[in-house]
Amino acid sequence: MANTTNLNLTFGDVTLGVSGARFRYIFAYDRGGLESLVRDGKEWLYRTPVPVFWRATTDNDRGNGFSQRSAMWLGADLFTHCTHVAVAVDGQAIPLPIAPENNRYTDHETAEKVAITFTYTTPTVPATTVDITYEVIAGGGLTVAVHYHGAAGLPELPALGLRIVMPTLAQGFDYQGLSGETYPDRMAGGQPGTYHVAGLPVTPYLVPQECGMHMATDWVTVTRERTLNNADPNHQAFQLTVREHGTPFAFSALPYTPAELENATHQEELPAPRRTVLTIYGAVRGVGGIDSWGADVEPQYHLAGDTDHSFQFEIVAGDAQV
Amino acid sequence: MKADLRWLDDPQTFRINQVPAHSDHRGYATLAEATAHHSRFVQSLDGQWAFQFARDPQHRPVGFYQPDYDRTDFDRLTVPGHIELAGYGQIQYINTAYPWEGKHYRRPAYSRGADQPEQGMFSTDPENTVGAYVKRFTLAPALQDKRVSIEFDGVEQAMFLWLNGQFVGYAEDSFSRSEFDLTPYLQPGENLLAVEVFKHSTAAFLEDQDMFRFSGIFRSVRLVAKPALHLEDLTIRAGADAALTTGQLALTLRLSAANKLAGAVQISLLDASGQPLWTAERDAAATIQLTTELPHVHLWSHHDPYLYRLQVTLHNPAGECVEVVPYPVGFRRLEMKDKVITLNGQRLIINGVNRHEWDAHRGRAVTLTDMKHDLRIFHANHINAVRTCHYPDQPIWYDLCDREGIYMMAENNLETHGTWQKMGAVEPSYNVPDDLPQWQLAVLDRAKSNYEMFKNHPAILFWSLGNESYAGEDLVAMDAYYHHVDPTRLTHYEGVFQNRVYADRISDVESRMYNPPREIEKYLQNAPAKPFLDCEYMHDMGNSLGGMASYDALLDRYPMYQGGFIWDFIDQALWVKDDVTGRPVLRYGGDFDDRHSDYEFSGDGLLFADRTPKPALQEVRYYYGQHD
Repeated sequence: MANTTNLNLTFGDVTLGVSGARFRYIFAYDRGGLESLVRDGKEWLYRTPVPVFWRATTDNDRGNGFSQRSAMWLGADLFTHCTHVAVAVDGQAIPLPIAPENNRYTDHETAEKVAITFTYTTPTVPATTVDITYEVIAGGGLTVAVHYHGAAGLPELPALGLRIVMPTLAQGFDYQGLSGETYPDRMAGGQPGTYHVAGLPVTPYLVPQECGMHMATDWVTVTRERTLNNADPNHQAFQLTVREHGTPFAFSALPYTPAELENATHQEELPAPRRTVLTIYGAVRGVGGIDSWGADVEPQYHLAGDTDHSFQFEIVAGDAQV
Repeated sequence: MKADLRWLDDPQTFRINQVPAHSDHRGYATLAEATAHHSRFVQSLDGQWAFQFARDPQHRPVGFYQPDYDRTDFDRLTVPGHIELAGYGQIQYINTAYPWEGKHYRRPAYSRGADQPEQGMFSTDPENTVGAYVKRFTLAPALQDKRVSIEFDGVEQAMFLWLNGQFVGYAEDSFSRSEFDLTPYLQPGENLLAVEVFKHSTAAFLEDQDMFRFSGIFRSVRLVAKPALHLEDLTIRAGADAALTTGQLALTLRLSAANKLAGAVQISLLDASGQPLWTAERDAAATIQLTTELPHVHLWSHHDPYLYRLQVTLHNPAGECVEVVPYPVGFRRLEMKDKVITLNGQRLIINGVNRHEWDAHRGRAVTLTDMKHDLRIFHANHINAVRTCHYPDQPIWYDLCDREGIYMMAENNLETHGTWQKMGAVEPSYNVPDDLPQWQLAVLDRAKSNYEMFKNHPAILFWSLGNESYAGEDLVAMDAYYHHVDPTRLTHYEGVFQNRVYADRISDVESRMYNPPREIEKYLQNAPAKPFLDCEYMHDMGNSLGGMASYDALLDRYPMYQGGFIWDFIDQALWVKDDVTGRPVLRYGGDFDDRHSDYEFSGDGLLFADRTPKPALQEVRYYYGQHD
């Protein structure tokens, strides 16, 4: 029988299921991350969220050689993999409950909270790690904490974030933050407010590049209507909200990954939009602007690769006002 | 005189039989026409012209201007427009290197010595495309039996003109008006006008602007009749006394007559509501000079672009009105005080943009709708100044800037960076115009065309010698020319930053491009000789415009830092139909198989090429709003 206040835990052979009245999350040890995030019967994840280390090269990045200097972060963005998983139930670390360790559990396990930490190792030289901890509390509240471990010798980062790829294209999004597209060195003109954006617009720079960043955000709500579930004929809008947890975050909501943007030389070469790429950023490099053939971004808007960076946020059901 | 193709090769031949440049005023037959800005003396030749394209001078239709030439196989082409955008000739975008990079080894005439004229460079160039244009016209009644001239507002890059089979003249300087007197060649009934346009001449060395490279008659063409008594030129000097209360007006009128110079001239100054404030009358004369003072003058400025109206009325000896010339007058006081530029006593702050003329459908043949859109964007974002990079714009743009209170840096059609900037480095081993006497007249003529045409526009605060053309005696001569003819404005030139030898002789301002804020600060902290302007800064290529705060901060700290012009206003890209999807898409350099190219480097605008704002524009609105 479902427990209405505590979390139901399903200690599977390759996953940990965490569910409640209106939600079910599946943390996959084999896939190395949160594989499924279902709210009110709707799936929100296409693949496991992954740490983000790259942004599609801007004209200024190309001009000042940043992309060459930091090229290993493109590889890291594409090929970082999970190397360790840790689970804590009600604040207590437990041995990783894969088979046969999970034989000691039942189909009626509950907890007040559970935390799963996936550690990712980058294919950089030197390598470093990023810890992503998901903490679920009774009722389904989900807090995500990302911690990047700096390592001496690593180049500056284009960005540090978590990429959440949703199975279908969103109808649009609402957020509370700054107007327009903003970056750390270009956000004075952003007017604080609550904004609705229809669709997932890609800023039509002549050469597709990093775009759509929203700095200093309190929350963002993504609205979708369709799922990939063949048994789900309901096309009523449904929503998911990311909310700040202590400090505002930055985000972009686009139909493309940085790699897809990086490949195109013109807007019309971008693939047909099919999915929603919501990226939550804890740190963003400035775009620069003095010139486009050598001038660096001002030093205060760089992201060091040799120091730690961390950020956290919450994922809640429905819209932000709920 | 007969046309000679070798003029294309000679930097000392750039205007043959052209009417000397003069002010851009328009004459009207009546006051009512003047008020309506519709002159019966003007007959537009815009529209469909007969046209034939040739891939080089050797394949051009020789003698096509003759009345009996068989032109049955000519096409139709719309004027104004670029030949390349009509499907003839390859579209190319290139920045610093010359468009023949990798195809021809060239050195500008005389740059390797006075005995190296480089004959045949363009007249026998196998890639110098040619457009043969023909237009038939019959003079409208109001133009008949009068002196008639023809005005070409923009022809790129060299043109020969014939009327009824007779050679009329030759012009270079793509962006200045070329005017010819047609009177001796006109015939009753239908007339046959022929223009032969060459894509390249020695002017190519002077017109190496970072832009798509086009050719053709890309601005309007019109016939203009002069009544029996005509105002040829008008110079308006409208200033204010040091107390900024008394307006000081000085006028110079130059008249011409079809026969005998006789009659009378009435000159009036009216306020914006049409109330006459001052009237004078003089006998007609070749030159008339007047001065007056205006108590309690209403000054012109960005926020209050108040325009008086000058009205010059010419009467024949019978007392009949034959011509009315209206001209807006803005009184203002521009001066240097303690090395700070002031306008009407206030420190001038330039919240500027560089603006190429651009329309993604029409290239540089922009429309009035484009211009009005641009001005709305200016006002919505606290943009108060424009640099006409790097050539004079369509004349109407100057009128609009007067009316809208937009400060102008009026720049000459001059850019030679391909001769001294190579592989991103300063490399002036050969360059033009340098100190070369063979090139000096051409660049001085460009300065003169710019000054004479636009000298009466209050919006213009700076004459700019050109862009990225290094520095030498020829630039010195240009600077001296402007100071000689116009003590009321300042000169601007950035190129002297690359050759400091000329720092004392060129430019009233210290102008730099893309200088980091800390470098500017160093200049300002070390006994600066001149006030500072960024002629280009905040290079807005793609997703850019970060760090504007550091420039903005200089405005508060250093009075001699007077702002700058963002590079630039609008992306240069062209709408084409995508072969794969059939949909309209924006294309840039290299997308037309054009090589050598600088690809997307033309996409540096605050607006996308379709005139929608880039996201960065809100940042400009914020910072420019801090000092508006």
